[in-house]
Amino acid sequence: MRLLRYLGHRLLLAVPVILGIVVLNFFLIHLAPGDAASVLAGESGAATPEYMALLRHKFGLDQPLSTQFYVYLLNMAHFDLGYSFRNDSPVVGLILDRLGPTLLLMLTAFVVALICGTLLGLVAATGRRTWRDPVISVISLIAYATPGFWLGLMMIVVFAIRLAWLPTSGLDTVGADNEGWDEVVDIARHMVMPALSLSLFYLAVYARVMRASVLEQTGMDYVVTARAKGQTEIRVMLGHVLRNALLPVVTMAGVQAGNLIGGSIVVETVFGWPGIGTLAFNALQSRDLNLLLGIFFVSACLVVVVNLVVDLIYVSLDPRIER
Amino acid sequence: MTDAHFTPAMISRRAALALPLGLATLRAAHAAPEPARGGTMVMIVHPEPSTLAHYAVSAGNIPMIATQVYEGLLTYDWDSKPQPNLAKSWDVAADGKSITFKLQTGVTFHNGAAFTSADVQYSFMEILKKFHPTAPVVLAELTAVETPDAETAIFRLANPAPYIMKALAARDLPIMCKSVFEGTDVMTNPTANKPIGTGPFKFVQWERGQFVRLDRNDKYWKPGLPYLNRIVARFIPDAATRSAAMETGEAHFAGYSAVNYADVARMKTNPILDTTTKGYEMTPALSVLELNSHQPHLDKKEVRQAIAYAIDRTFIRDNVMFGFGQPATGPLSRLFTASGLYTDAVRRFDVPDRLEIANKLLDGAGAPRGADGVRFALHLEVNSFGEQWLRQAEYLKQALAQVGIAVTLRSEDTATWLRRVYTDYDYDISEPFLSQGIDPVVGLNRQYLSSQIRKGVTFVNNSFYSNPEIDRLLGEGRTEIDPVKRGAIYQKVQQILVEDSPLIWLVDVQYVSIFNRKLHNHTTGPLGTYQAFETAWLEK
Repeated sequence: MRLLRYLGHRLLLAVPVILGIVVLNFFLIHLAPGDAASVLAGESGAATPEYMALLRHKFGLDQPLSTQFYVYLLNMAHFDLGYSFRNDSPVVGLILDRLGPTLLLMLTAFVVALICGTLLGLVAATGRRTWRDPVISVISLIAYATPGFWLGLMMIVVFAIRLAWLPTSGLDTVGADNEGWDEVVDIARHMVMPALSLSLFYLAVYARVMRASVLEQTGMDYVVTARAKGQTEIRVMLGHVLRNALLPVVTMAGVQAGNLIGGSIVVETVFGWPGIGTLAFNALQSRDLNLLLGIFFVSACLVVVVNLVVDLIYVSLDPRIER
Repeated sequence: MTDAHFTPAMISRRAALALPLGLATLRAAHAAPEPARGGTMVMIVHPEPSTLAHYAVSAGNIPMIATQVYEGLLTYDWDSKPQPNLAKSWDVAADGKSITFKLQTGVTFHNGAAFTSADVQYSFMEILKKFHPTAPVVLAELTAVETPDAETAIFRLANPAPYIMKALAARDLPIMCKSVFEGTDVMTNPTANKPIGTGPFKFVQWERGQFVRLDRNDKYWKPGLPYLNRIVARFIPDAATRSAAMETGEAHFAGYSAVNYADVARMKTNPILDTTTKGYEMTPALSVLELNSHQPHLDKKEVRQAIAYAIDRTFIRDNVMFGFGQPATGPLSRLFTASGLYTDAVRRFDVPDRLEIANKLLDGAGAPRGADGVRFALHLEVNSFGEQWLRQAEYLKQALAQVGIAVTLRSEDTATWLRRVYTDYDYDISEPFLSQGIDPVVGLNRQYLSSQIRKGVTFVNNSFYSNPEIDRLLGEGRTEIDPVKRGAIYQKVQQILVEDSPLIWLVDVQYVSIFNRKLHNHTTGPLGTYQAFETAWLEK
């Protein structure tokens, strides 16, 4: 019951946050010079004043800003994200098409980074003064310092071109018409490289945080007590240290889950992954305002949800946090 | 850089294989291979189109997909002469003011509707003339399309318009189905992204950010065609990954320089790939510098000529374009040589003592070097459409420094750049890339007519060039139907423009296609990537 009340409270707080983001973004976007009509006409290579006026009228860009804002708010109140004139389709459809692949890649990268990072940190911390610690530290330093796009390109050269083990890019093999299990394997094969290049940076971060955190905890009194009780080293680690040492890692993960949504643009671009990041980038480049606002709205909601989930994990790890 | 079938390396390899097997095999090896049916051809289209409303948006990435679905009245042979397509014959009246088309019979649209002259009439008068971006130029003289019967369409023109006969392929003016559009708002028609045409491939599916899938039209009106079962157009944002997809054989065709010039040399060494520069004969384009003559110094003809002299176009061609293209001589592309419109008998800037001339012109124009060797400073707006333009800008900065002009580069995103250059006019030099269209009426008129100084319109006269003689000559060229007289008019135009140098013309752009050697018959005419792959086939 208390948990439910906590949840309700947090959700209520999220409403003004999302509303604020939406309103702020609307006006921020209109500060950018240039409009969708000029970009579209620019791409066409040739345009007449009549054609550009036609476009501006169709996009509603000939209306005053206050009218555009009013129309936008009215649409939002009806949960209507509007129409992307550049793409000739409703914004909701465009975003939903990309949401699946984005979440798939994001969650995979997130889980891989979290699990592997935590394990590596734990192994490094327990293996101080052995070969394990320096090796893991060096690897995580390299992973931390390597740009994701470079890693992605190098993986393509090695695994797709030289060894021909994995496909270069895309979500699945186009035109193969795979079904059932074959399709799952196909998508997984396409996801190996993007998920790895997206997760490696975070993996390194978690490994380093986890290592420091474990080292800090092992000096605590309760660990000495546990050891004094005669528990084995493994039980001390898994039963006592791990749970407490995880708290800073979860905090870090909560912050970075938001980054993963937007920060995957580069990886999406390199691997031709149909994600939200590239959609947003293209919408910004072409001043497709309705689409851009829609993406902002959806990602704001996603970040709020992810933060909520992280908070719940936090609470289950450390019941003292819940109030 | 030739088509696969004529590559010497390939012939010799085949011959070498055939030698030990005797004469019969040798003869077979040289015979044209029999087209195989079926298969999925994957082509790379870059960037992903925002819409497939080919009838209302003329962005260069749309027709690669749209011309598989929509067809035009005509197609063109390697000499850019009209050939039958949806029109089986045509007759241009002696006064040039009407064109009669006899249409193919037994053609159906992908939705089952029969193709008749009513579709031609509706497409031209209700869709293209009202909504196509180039219609106000190309279709300005078209007043009516008459349909005496279902197989005849007669174009009525207010004045002769010799360029219309060059614009009737699907790339420029496609034919849509009347019953799909009638009674709807053309701009929001649901077939914008689900095109319905008469072409060899039917639109099936568009997964945004990934691919467009087109399947074989089993009821296609040309017997036995197409050979392919399916075409998939893939979208890969990253240039290196696009190259990788070609190298691994995942994709079969990358037209329109979807693969960076920088990677082409590496592609050529790959045994499964080959390249061609054919198929772009009707897609002339120039890279240029626009000069804002409302800025100090740039208002003087001598200064503009000095800038033209200071730039080594061959260097740009070799190092920025990686050897593709030709140094430009003036406002028209060399691709207009065959039609007798192009001339290089103009003031030439590629003379050996060009730097001395440039310095002398600048001295004479009242712009002496200061103590630091600098005469004056300018800003250069960097083209936002790709990395090569930044490289070109970096070269230009160096080249102009040689004659004492200090250049500062300014890079902005597309919308900001276009607004600065075509609306706010807050620029000195801009380096756009201008497609020239099917005829000088498209490429020259918008750039040099004084009436085309139009605030807020992109890629028109933003150098404020105004010359009554050019206005008069371009007006004459528009309606002149005698090719010889027309050629003389445009040659005169080029001489005057080069002398005045309102723009600096850098390189006649040459696109390049990369293809997998298993793919045959892909480039069958001057429109190349912009015409249907109806006879293309894949080796098993």
